[in-house]
Amino acid sequence: MRKFFSNRWFLLVLRLALGGVFLYAGATKVTNPQAFADSIATFKMLPPQLLNIVALGLPPFEILLGLMLISGWKARAASLALAGLSIVFGLALGQALMRGLVVDCGCFGSGEPSTLKTWASFGRAFLLLAGSLWVFRSASNGLK
Amino acid sequence: MKTLRSDVMLIWLVATTALCVGLLINQFRDTPLPLVYRDKAERLQDSVQRIVSKESASAPAPIVQLPEKLSLEDFSSYVESKRGLVLDARPEIFHRLGHVPGAISLPRDDFETGYAALKGKLEADRSQPIVIYCSSASCEDSGLVKKSLSALGFSNVALYEGGWSDWTNAKKPEETAQ
Repeated sequence: MRKFFSNRWFLLVLRLALGGVFLYAGATKVTNPQAFADSIATFKMLPPQLLNIVALGLPPFEILLGLMLISGWKARAASLALAGLSIVFGLALGQALMRGLVVDCGCFGSGEPSTLKTWASFGRAFLLLAGSLWVFRSASNGLK
Repeated sequence: MKTLRSDVMLIWLVATTALCVGLLINQFRDTPLPLVYRDKAERLQDSVQRIVSKESASAPAPIVQLPEKLSLEDFSSYVESKRGLVLDARPEIFHRLGHVPGAISLPRDDFETGYAALKGKLEADRSQPIVIYCSSASCEDSGLVKKSLSALGFSNVALYEGGWSDWTNAKKPEETAQ
């Protein structure tokens, strides 16, 4: 099993998939930062002074990291950053679920707030974290 | 350890670049996002203020006063009777995909443009019956649009709180954009 997960083709597919997910996530949000800011506001975590800055800066950040991962350039740093982002997303979604907030994840563009979708996004954040950490570990060991 | 530090430095650099790119793109938008967030109600209030400043609103007495909220049955007979306007406060894309027969799109997220497009129809009579709906009982768009229309002098506005989900669950007729 371990051999399979360390296979260079598996790592390539994982890296491309992770990069593609973040590239797509950033691209869907970069066109409508107002809707993304509204989504972040539903989490009730950030003050109004920071909401729009995050809504403007995060989508290009995801796009750049996605491109780095897809191209393989500095994939180690990119996967580390994506792991950090996944942790932040997981914490944001987790605190919303704990507080009983009905939030709009806003992960791939805006939508209707929903508790069920929040749970799904919470699970996805863990998958993305696991994938990012595996790419980081493999890149640290010189595998690509 | 040194590699990790250089990774963090690179991430910091990419994050700063991304923020600069985001701010730069924002400057080229038709309506740039302000740096400090304003919530939906505040933005709608801004739109109302801009419309009000262009004209002074007047509200003649209503002829048939609607209740504050309509049930599915009441709304259904209102739609069938065609005795007033039905406004869809959801984003326009959802209106295109399907709406209550005869409903006109006045999206909360683009209120100013939508209002300008419907100005003739709406301002012909500010006491005409108007019922507004959005996606479901939990959405706030219809309430916000109702508040804005009231601020503009419309005196006979009601909400269909069940919204699109209640309407479709009841298997009521639907209409799609041409």
